[in-house]
Amino acid sequence: MTSQKSSTESLVLQSEKGTKQNVGKRVPRIEDLRIVKGKAGYTDDLEMADQQYAAFLFSPYAHARIISIDVSKALELPGVSLVITGKEIKELTKPMSSRAATKSPTSHYILAVDKVRYMGEPVAAVVARNKYVAADAAELIEVEYEPLKVVASIEDALKKDAELIYPELGTNEMITDHFEFGDVKKAFSEADKIVKERIRIQRYASTPLETYVVNAYYDPTREELTVYASDQQPGRTVQSVERTIGIPSSRIHLIVPPVGGGFGYKLAIWQYVALVSLMSKLVGKPVKWVQTRTESLYAFHRPRGFMDAEFALRKDGKVLGMKLVDWQADANWPYVAALYSLIKFANMSGTYEIRNYSFEYHCIATNDPPIVQDRGVGKPFMAFALERMMDFSAQALGIDRVKIRQINSVPADKMPYTAGSGEVYESGNYPEAIRRALEHSQFKKKLEEQAKLRKEGRYVGIGIATAIEPGTSNLGYYFLSKAGDPDYNGAGQMATVEVAADGIVKVNMNGPEIGTGHVTTIAQVVADVFGISTEEVNVDAWYDSVHGHLTYAGTYSNAFNDVYLGAVMTAANQLKDKILNIASSLLRENKEDLYLSNNYICKLDDDQEKRLVGLKELAKISYGRLLSFPKGEEPGLKVTAGYINRTAKPFVRSDFNVQLTHSNSVHVCFVEVFPENWNIKILDYAIVHDAGNVINPGIVEGLAIGSTVSGIGGALYEEFVFDEQGTNLSLNFGEYLKPTAMEAPEIRVDQMESPAPNTVLGTKAVGEGGAITSLAAVAGAVEDALKPFNVKITGLPITPEKIWNMVKDTPEYKRIKKEGQ
Amino acid sequence: MVTVNLKINGKQYSEETEPRMLLVHFIRDVLKLKGTHIGCDTGHCGACTILWDGKPVKSCQILAVQAEGANIMTVEGLEPEEGKLSIEQESFRENFAQQCGYCTPGFLMMTRYLIRNNEEMTREEIREKLHGNYCMCTGYQQIVDAVQDAQRKYFATKK
Repeated sequence: MTSQKSSTESLVLQSEKGTKQNVGKRVPRIEDLRIVKGKAGYTDDLEMADQQYAAFLFSPYAHARIISIDVSKALELPGVSLVITGKEIKELTKPMSSRAATKSPTSHYILAVDKVRYMGEPVAAVVARNKYVAADAAELIEVEYEPLKVVASIEDALKKDAELIYPELGTNEMITDHFEFGDVKKAFSEADKIVKERIRIQRYASTPLETYVVNAYYDPTREELTVYASDQQPGRTVQSVERTIGIPSSRIHLIVPPVGGGFGYKLAIWQYVALVSLMSKLVGKPVKWVQTRTESLYAFHRPRGFMDAEFALRKDGKVLGMKLVDWQADANWPYVAALYSLIKFANMSGTYEIRNYSFEYHCIATNDPPIVQDRGVGKPFMAFALERMMDFSAQALGIDRVKIRQINSVPADKMPYTAGSGEVYESGNYPEAIRRALEHSQFKKKLEEQAKLRKEGRYVGIGIATAIEPGTSNLGYYFLSKAGDPDYNGAGQMATVEVAADGIVKVNMNGPEIGTGHVTTIAQVVADVFGISTEEVNVDAWYDSVHGHLTYAGTYSNAFNDVYLGAVMTAANQLKDKILNIASSLLRENKEDLYLSNNYICKLDDDQEKRLVGLKELAKISYGRLLSFPKGEEPGLKVTAGYINRTAKPFVRSDFNVQLTHSNSVHVCFVEVFPENWNIKILDYAIVHDAGNVINPGIVEGLAIGSTVSGIGGALYEEFVFDEQGTNLSLNFGEYLKPTAMEAPEIRVDQMESPAPNTVLGTKAVGEGGAITSLAAVAGAVEDALKPFNVKITGLPITPEKIWNMVKDTPEYKRIKKEGQ
Repeated sequence: MVTVNLKINGKQYSEETEPRMLLVHFIRDVLKLKGTHIGCDTGHCGACTILWDGKPVKSCQILAVQAEGANIMTVEGLEPEEGKLSIEQESFRENFAQQCGYCTPGFLMMTRYLIRNNEEMTREEIREKLHGNYCMCTGYQQIVDAVQDAQRKYFATKK
């Protein structure tokens, strides 16, 4: 911690020499200038010469053996140049392996080989001269299946005679482990009350409006693959493409144009990058694939599962200990199995001081479709389970639900706080956040209003939830249950800053732009370092693997505000230092007297700013007039620098940190349930969000609101529904319901700022807080509204049908029915 | 193949197409106007919204051949002149009404229509009228801000 602090301080000091004019301001987004003209340039907007198109055939069965595939009719169709099936894939590619799971199957390929394991698994692919012919050809492929018994649930998967998803493993339980911190036994023996509940989470997903798009060209003359993809984690994609289809990573040029929404969904695109790239290599032409909406709803999702939670309580409300057993149907896709469980439990005590807890997890293979690290990964369920248990504990003890949260909050004077697992909460003030939320939401007034409306026979309720929003994954945590070293560990990124030959300041964060305002945020930060305006900073929104990057480069895990900004600041400060060195030598001035302002190297002369030389002139010298160039300096004004957040710990099972920054939120939700049809309306929604220092309030507020509405979708509407044959019944937006402007509430955000001491600018996680905290706030509010019916909400989404089933046999329902007659 | 003649953003086009081609594919792939997006294929999300004789139409729900003789406006036609944003574009930018921006062209076309064809709308009314346009990023609040702002600006030009 100490060494990290000093390096952070020096970076901040350097940045403060520049005039701080842009950081902290509501600067209109630069990227919007292109977006509002329809000129953002997403992956599907680009075409290559002689462009060919791919289409896939997907399995209609959730579990079946592939007996035979007849591609002859497809190949006969004019305009079709290639059809591939599992046969070719088995010859040409290597299977995928598990990242975290201790057991790794050997039969899991990027395209189904001999067997399908979920509805929507790709079984064949075609290349044709246009997208219509490609779709026609895919339909002409004839596949004979032999259906297998479907493993439709966790319970099914664990039965003695259960059909095995991966027979070579001999089990459907892909990974299981048990961790314990503190003295759980003692906590439970000393408890006044024990509260136990099974909390469930459904299958749902972020559904970015832009789907997967891949456009690949393997150039045989250079033996190099150039591929454009709507990819959130291009660094890793390159590694995975190398491993599966065998093109060396040094010969893969991956470009990510602006992405039409990421939300974690686009971490899994690499499978299709590999497939489309392979097809391009086989046909010798550029091949583009644009996923349809239905195809995007087959997979990838959040896993469904449940948690058996047991709380040991003292009668004043203090939580003495927790026992948590987590079950997730996430192992059909071994590549990321266990990530949902592992990411949540290091942070399982949330904003509370709970020292004793055990965590056991089981990752089960079923015929559910693959999963991906969707917005917040396991954290939304983590917060949902914890906060529901807080409400149930308060009810069991007969104490106030706000009070139980206050009693258990980590006190402000204990920050930075190390949780039982070893997770370090570097910053935050949880009691203050609750206090401000009560004020901001007018909690007291809401209670009075509720009492009044209840008397009028209306069912209104208030929910409150407090949660942490961990950001910046300390990668490698998924090896906690596995021996050996992960391919990736720690947390860092790289970025490039340059003054180009024409004197323009250019930046590339060397990561994808997924809509979260990175271009503007970076422009604000860099403008301040160079003493220029944000419009003068040219931030490239394209990821291009030719720039220096880490093997896990990507925009995910709420890490931008930490490691990407860290890398940008490091590169900018190194370049500024270089510029001042060159100027000092050329001008024969003391470096300490020089500074950058408005594209000039300046010094103060009798308190008057004196412009000595322009950046443009200095660029001309640095890129081309080298006879008088200072010794000890290299020509050119381009710096690619890396940054590491050094607070990441090595993984020791008794002391580890899975994430490095911890924002937090308190949500207060006010709802009404209408007994005519059991619809729910959110009447008011108030948020206190602490994400440390804020660089652009307009952007941060938008992310807080947007992520909350995505959580409200999960709380009230969204679920992938499967029949007993594993058929996905939610394959368009008429069946898979997203919140529209009509359902979304007006949200009031109060931004608190507890700066992170371990990031360069005191910023921390922003994009996931709403998705994490909202589930429990909404559920708590609906349960409170339905208090006269005495219902308990332990699962989502809370649909009118579910409410009806909960209330229909209650005395309150009989009473209102009688009154209504 | 069939020839389709139509006017987009004031410019006359005449191009050959298969009879089965969707209008949105014709706009994007044949005419290369890439600002109109595809988000769902089923008419729910509104990313492909265009104005047809001034009225909003989801261009993924209609064939190109049906647009014979149509007068269409897409997002590329919003700018009143080079380098100047329309009031809808300006309001969306000033209100942080887009994050990834993929849905934005559809919302802008809808806004263009709504602010000109309604009396002053309440936030509730705006939300109801926007229910055929999906945004996965913003949670809609800043979009509602932008539409309100755009309508105010539009009315100001009429005074």
